[in-house]
Amino acid sequence: MIDNLQIVLELKDVAVHFGGRAGLLGSSGAVVKAVNGVDLEIRKAETVALVGESGCGKSTLSNTIVGLQAPVSGSVKIGGDEVVGADRRKLNDIRRKVQMIFQDPALSLNPRSTIGATIAEPLIVRGIARGKALKDRVAELLTQVGLRPEHADRYPHQFSGGQRQRVVIARALALEPDLLICDEPVSALDVSVRAQILNLLVALQQRMGVAYLFVSHDLSVVRHICDRVVVMYLGRFVEMADRDTFFANPKHPYTRALMSAVPEADPIAQRSKQRFILQGELPSPANIPSGCAFHTRCPLATEICSKVRPELTPRPDGASVACHHV
Amino acid sequence: MTASAHAIRQRLRRVPPSVIVVSVLLAAIVLLAVFAPLVAPADPNNQTLLARLKAPGFTYRGVTYWVGTDDLGRDLLSRTVYGARVSLGVAALSVIVSTMVGVSLGMLAGWFRGWTETIIMRLVDIMMSIPAILLAVLTVAVLGPGFLKLVLVLGLTRWPRYTRVAYAQTLQVSNLPFIKASELAGAGAVRILFHHVLPNIAGPILIVATAEFGLMILMESGLSFLGLGIQPPSASWGSIMSVGRQYLERAWWIVAVPGVCLFLLVFSVNVLGDWLRDQLDPRSRSR
Repeated sequence: MIDNLQIVLELKDVAVHFGGRAGLLGSSGAVVKAVNGVDLEIRKAETVALVGESGCGKSTLSNTIVGLQAPVSGSVKIGGDEVVGADRRKLNDIRRKVQMIFQDPALSLNPRSTIGATIAEPLIVRGIARGKALKDRVAELLTQVGLRPEHADRYPHQFSGGQRQRVVIARALALEPDLLICDEPVSALDVSVRAQILNLLVALQQRMGVAYLFVSHDLSVVRHICDRVVVMYLGRFVEMADRDTFFANPKHPYTRALMSAVPEADPIAQRSKQRFILQGELPSPANIPSGCAFHTRCPLATEICSKVRPELTPRPDGASVACHHV
Repeated sequence: MTASAHAIRQRLRRVPPSVIVVSVLLAAIVLLAVFAPLVAPADPNNQTLLARLKAPGFTYRGVTYWVGTDDLGRDLLSRTVYGARVSLGVAALSVIVSTMVGVSLGMLAGWFRGWTETIIMRLVDIMMSIPAILLAVLTVAVLGPGFLKLVLVLGLTRWPRYTRVAYAQTLQVSNLPFIKASELAGAGAVRILFHHVLPNIAGPILIVATAEFGLMILMESGLSFLGLGIQPPSASWGSIMSVGRQYLERAWWIVAVPGVCLFLLVFSVNVLGDWLRDQLDPRSRSR
C-alpha cells in the first residue's frame, strides 16, 4: 500500500497510433505507430531519463503522459488515478499532478504576457489563489527558481535564455506537481548555463520530492542527473537500467551504438574507443520492421531477429533488455 | 499605478512626430463629425439655386461659401462636415463588426480544426468568390437602405478576410509550446484563445483592419452612388463625390474637398495602425 503511494506514474502497455482512419476530405495514410506497448513506473523523487533518436516516440509518449495525446490502448495512472477514459473534470484534477518543461524557453512563454501573469495562470485558472495570496505565491515561486519577485512585471524578452527556463520551471511548479516531464530542458541553452539549470532541477527535487521524466539525447546530461535510464527505439523500450549499471555495462546493441557516439574528453581514450557504428537510417514509424525493429541496422542481427520480437527481459544485474543476443 | 503612469509618460515621449500629426488630424476629423451642427456654417441641405456650382470663396447675399457650392447650391463645407459623420460612422462600425465576426470565426477554425474548420473555411471560400459589392447590393435590396443596415451589410460581407488571416495565424501560434503549457495549466479554449492567441495575432489583423477601413469608406460611397446607401439629401463623402463626378470639368471642388478629407482620414488611420501594431508588441516597446 505504502509502496503504491510512492509511485507517481504507472504506464501499462501504452500504445499511441496516428492516422489510418479515412476522413471525408482527409487522406487515409498508413498507421504511424509512434508508441507501441510501453510499461514504465516512476517513483516519488526519482529521475528517469528517456533516451532515443528523434522520431522514436519520446515526445509522443510525454504528450500522452500529460494528457495532450490519447493512447489507443493501455493504461496511464498518475498517482494511482487512471487517466485513460477519465471524464473531463477528473482528468483536469489528475493533470494537476503532472507538468512539463519544454525545450525552447523562448517559445514556452507568451511574449505578450508578463512573466508574473504567466506563472500565475495555473493558479488563476484552477482558482487556487487570487489577489494578495496570488502575488505572494508568484513571488515565492520566482524566489524558488532563483529569480527576484520584482521580475514579475517584466516580459520574457527582457530575460536571458537561462532565466526564461527558470520562469518555465516556476510555472511548472506552481501547481506543486508530483511529476515533471522535462523535454530536452537544457539542449536549447548555452553550455555555460546548462549546469545551472540542471543544478536547479536537482535542488528542487531534493526540496520538494518531485519526480522527473527527463527526455534527452544528451547522454552526458543524463549521466549527471538521472537515477534510471530507459532507451527507446521506434516506439518500444529496448533497455531499462539503473544509471550506474547502464553506463558501466550497456547491453543492447542500440544502446552501445549511442554510447560509442558520445565523445570522450581524453583524446587517447577517444582514439582507442571501440566504435559501434550503425548502418542505415532510422526506419519510418509508419513501416516498422518485423521481429526486432532494430534488426535492419543491428550488427549482431541473425535470422531470428527479423522473425521474433524480443521481449524486455530482466538480466542478473538488474537491467532489462530486449534482445535475442545479449 | 504610479509606475504604470510613469511608463505611459515615458512611452509618449518616444512617439514619432508623424504619429502625433496624424493623431491630431484624426482627432480633428472625429471632432468635426461629432460636433457637426456646431461647426458647420450652414444647413447642409439648404439649397440656394442661384448659387449653384460656385467656386470656393464665393459670397452671395453676405454668405461666404469657403469651399464653394454643389450642383444644388448647397454649402459644400457644411455637407462635407456632416458627411464625415456618415462616412466615419459607417467605416468604423463596419470594421468593428467584421473584425469581431471574422477574427472569432478564424480563431475557432484554427483552434478546433476538424469539422469546425471545414465548415468555416469553406464558407469563407464561398463568400470570397462572390463580389462583395454584388452581395451588398443584394442585401440592401432585401433589407432596404439606411445607416445601420449599411453597417450590417458591410460588416457581414467583409469578415472573410479577417477570418483567413486569423485562421492562418492561429494555426501557427497554437503549435507553440506556451499554448501547450497553458493547456497543461488547465486553461480552457476561451481563455487560451483570448489570452494567448489573440494578443499574438493582433498585429496582422490590425493591418487588415486599417486597410479595410479605407475600403469601407469607398464601399459606402459606392453603395451610396448606386442609391443603395445613404439616401439623399443626407450627405456622405461618397455621395458628394459621386454627384461631383458629373461636374468634374466645371466644378472640381465638389470632388476635391471630400476627396482630400477621405485621403487624409485613410492615410491617418494607416499610419496610426502601423504604429499601434508595433506598440502592441512588448518586444519593440522597450527598445
